[in-house]
Amino acid sequence: MTLTEALRERKRAPVDAEPFRVILACGFTPLHLSTFLAAHLQRRLPSRPVEVTCGLYGDLPGTLRESAAKNPGAVAVALEWADLDPRLGYRNLGGWGPAEQDDIVRQVESRLGSLRRVIEEVADAVPVAAAFPSLPLPPVFHTGSRQAGRAQARLNALAQQAACELSAHASISIASAQHLDLVSPPAERYDLQSDLFTGFPYKRAHASALGEALANLIAPAPPKKGLITDLDDTLWSGIVGEAGPEGVHWDLEHHAQIHGLYQQTLRALADEGVLIAVASKNDAAVVQRALARPDMILSPEKIFPLEVHWQAKSGSVARILKAWNIGAGDVVFVDDSPLELAEVERAFPGIHCLRFRPGDYASAEAFLTGLRDLFARKRISDEDALRRESLRSASEFQSRMAQQDAPEEFLRELNGSIAVNAQAAGDPRSLELVNKTNQFNLNGRRFDAAEWRALAASPGAFVWNAAYQDKFGSLGKIAVLAGKVREGKVLLESWVMSCRAFARGIENHCLALLYERTGAEEIIFCFRATDRNGPLQDFLARLLGRAPEAGARLERREFELRDLPLYHQVQWRES
Amino acid sequence: MNDIRARLTTCFATVFPALEAAEIPAATQKTVAAWDSVAAITLLNVIEEEFNTQIDFEALADLDSFDAIAAYLSDRVAAGNSGA
Repeated sequence: MTLTEALRERKRAPVDAEPFRVILACGFTPLHLSTFLAAHLQRRLPSRPVEVTCGLYGDLPGTLRESAAKNPGAVAVALEWADLDPRLGYRNLGGWGPAEQDDIVRQVESRLGSLRRVIEEVADAVPVAAAFPSLPLPPVFHTGSRQAGRAQARLNALAQQAACELSAHASISIASAQHLDLVSPPAERYDLQSDLFTGFPYKRAHASALGEALANLIAPAPPKKGLITDLDDTLWSGIVGEAGPEGVHWDLEHHAQIHGLYQQTLRALADEGVLIAVASKNDAAVVQRALARPDMILSPEKIFPLEVHWQAKSGSVARILKAWNIGAGDVVFVDDSPLELAEVERAFPGIHCLRFRPGDYASAEAFLTGLRDLFARKRISDEDALRRESLRSASEFQSRMAQQDAPEEFLRELNGSIAVNAQAAGDPRSLELVNKTNQFNLNGRRFDAAEWRALAASPGAFVWNAAYQDKFGSLGKIAVLAGKVREGKVLLESWVMSCRAFARGIENHCLALLYERTGAEEIIFCFRATDRNGPLQDFLARLLGRAPEAGARLERREFELRDLPLYHQVQWRES
Repeated sequence: MNDIRARLTTCFATVFPALEAAEIPAATQKTVAAWDSVAAITLLNVIEEEFNTQIDFEALADLDSFDAIAAYLSDRVAAGNSGA
């Protein structure tokens, strides 16, 4: 992005929406880094005007200390060597001789320690995105630039150690130095003239790359949820229908290692909670034998569902999406055939299609890295690990439910239990569910961390989440309810439930608990129709006996008159 | 020269979005409140991108009006030092 493009991007910000505020903490003049950070964030958050504010020149710790009190949506930290010891910059003449080296190392160690503590304190309240020194060290060391002497190696180790320790914090994300090296060559980053004249040390291209890296951490693209893969010449090398189950390969010996690496990536994704399915035009029995081979890296139990037949792949994708109950926009489709990719893309314009190119070693590394990036997430939750199994059980539940003549009896026999955490504002899963659930969502409202904290801290506020399990297995934490209790009324501001939990009557139980636990006589629903919350609209329409509208109300006695069956045991937790 | 002034007007509009198009040709650092030191550097860098040229920081102090910048760019074009 050029500076001109960045400034024009800023002009596209909407004027009538709640701003997303970011504090940029750096010791140098922020100048274009601030512009590029704001522009890259604006691209990611087109519905909100992005505001980036900065602290005082040279006072990185002070900017950080004051940042949390300003309640921003995020804090971005751009750390450079000169922030750790001014002698590691070009604007200071404190000495580069052998007498200074040990002192510089001590100073850097001490400053990193105190900065680390300040950043962790900030991150206890606000998400922090941090980039560690991206500029080369100046010519301080007697070993010269070609050799990493003890002092230089020690400085790099100290910075890496601090980055490592900070990355363990749930609310701190660290920009990848490896990625930055790829997109912004280290030798092309520093601008001595700009540094000396203005205090801004970066060339514009590097400022853009660094701004983009920080923006990616603050507002990452939502990770894809599922991947649908072809088999022949994709998951393995060869055509299984011709070569037979033993004639396809994915190893070094048969020059098919790229397929093995692809399987290895899919296995890792599956273990991280990504849904993996197969869409293949093949003989199902032959495929089952190939998948059952003990040397398969992606074992068949990690695949659900399998669509193996001779029909169109768009039909297979449709059935897989239905089984997963997610939209095409959350899914990646991988195939070696441009024809199949085009057919699926035409049927599902939102799906992310990737072509697998067997034998193309030049593009394979970028393909695997790109695949990883599409599913990148800060942490893996317990729910991620449960997702595949809970989808299988949900699928089994739905199919059994459809066969029932007496569904109420069937639901009662599920032995379902709901575990409610009534202090769930600080559980990252709560905000995650609110911000990614579309179908059973009261109003589609998304929250940034600052807004979520503000909601939870307001008078009379409550934030609950609920986990569910029954004889088909655990679904993990599947619902969040948040709002305020005032004057005997619940103002329900956010209510979401995972689609995996539909049709079990959990939503009825949630409302019953709201009346019971808050003592409220009325619930006011902050409802808003969205393009995707049809299931929530249907539920409210049935409950209210009319089409829901903003501010719809339901009195306790009306709810009780409905006499809705409550099938589940409830475990209640207040802490 | 007309082409330079038209492209320079675009640069000014990018850096000073509150400035009316008609005000741009008469803009000076004294008459445009938003034209502070940060905006001056930003304007210089945007001009560098538009004209595919490098402007020395030392020249910044003299480039304090639309006309001065237009004249500077014309001189550079005449000397064959820019993409204008």
